[in-house]
Amino acid sequence: MVVKRKRRRRVFRRRRVCRFCADSSLRIDYKDAKMLRYFLTERGKIIPRRISDNCAKHQRELTLAIKRARQMALLPYTVDHSI
Amino acid sequence: MQLRKYESFFIVDPDLPEDAYQGVAQKFRGVVETGGGTVLAYAPWGKKKLAYPVKKKSYGYYVLMEFASGPDLIAELERTMRIDERVLKFITVKLDDEFDPEKEKERARPAPPPLAEDDEEAPPRFAATREDEEADEEEEEDEDEE
Repeated sequence: MVVKRKRRRRVFRRRRVCRFCADSSLRIDYKDAKMLRYFLTERGKIIPRRISDNCAKHQRELTLAIKRARQMALLPYTVDHSI
Repeated sequence: MQLRKYESFFIVDPDLPEDAYQGVAQKFRGVVETGGGTVLAYAPWGKKKLAYPVKKKSYGYYVLMEFASGPDLIAELERTMRIDERVLKFITVKLDDEFDPEKEKERARPAPPPLAEDDEEAPPRFAATREDEEADEEEEEDEDEE
């Protein structure tokens, strides 16, 4: 059975640009907790590339920075589980 | 001996008396210098709230030290930090594979604290947890455009 897929669905596509590529003055630094916090969910998880629109290279640098910041208690590993 | 450029970022006990921090500074500067290194910058960042408690403390006194040294010094420095009760946590990162004193001159001193007291939760930019839906939507469109 042939399924005809004729749709005029113009999906709006966001322009995907890595913010670190777009603005070279932005540095990824593990000591800059404020900037890194942008890339965490409120539970403290790292936001995936598919959502944050970072390029692979910068996402890699970013995860490393976030993990270092966690070691230094600048960022949480997880947000407190209070029941 | 080949010199490399490193930085040590460490957290000191926040409950020490004010003048004790100089002692800490002297000690680690001393370790670097006796090991044949040079301290390029020693910047105390001050007290800051920790993201999670460390050794039952919820604040920490952060210090950033930049230095040039050979690779063997790192082990020694980290060993002393581990022994020193005043140090809660530390991390050492290699900034550059070789230390070039010329480069150092032209560079202005690193601006200290990007971390001020106000550390309010930045509003998260992305809605959390359930945002997977959009990913699969995009798959299908490309094929039958014409």
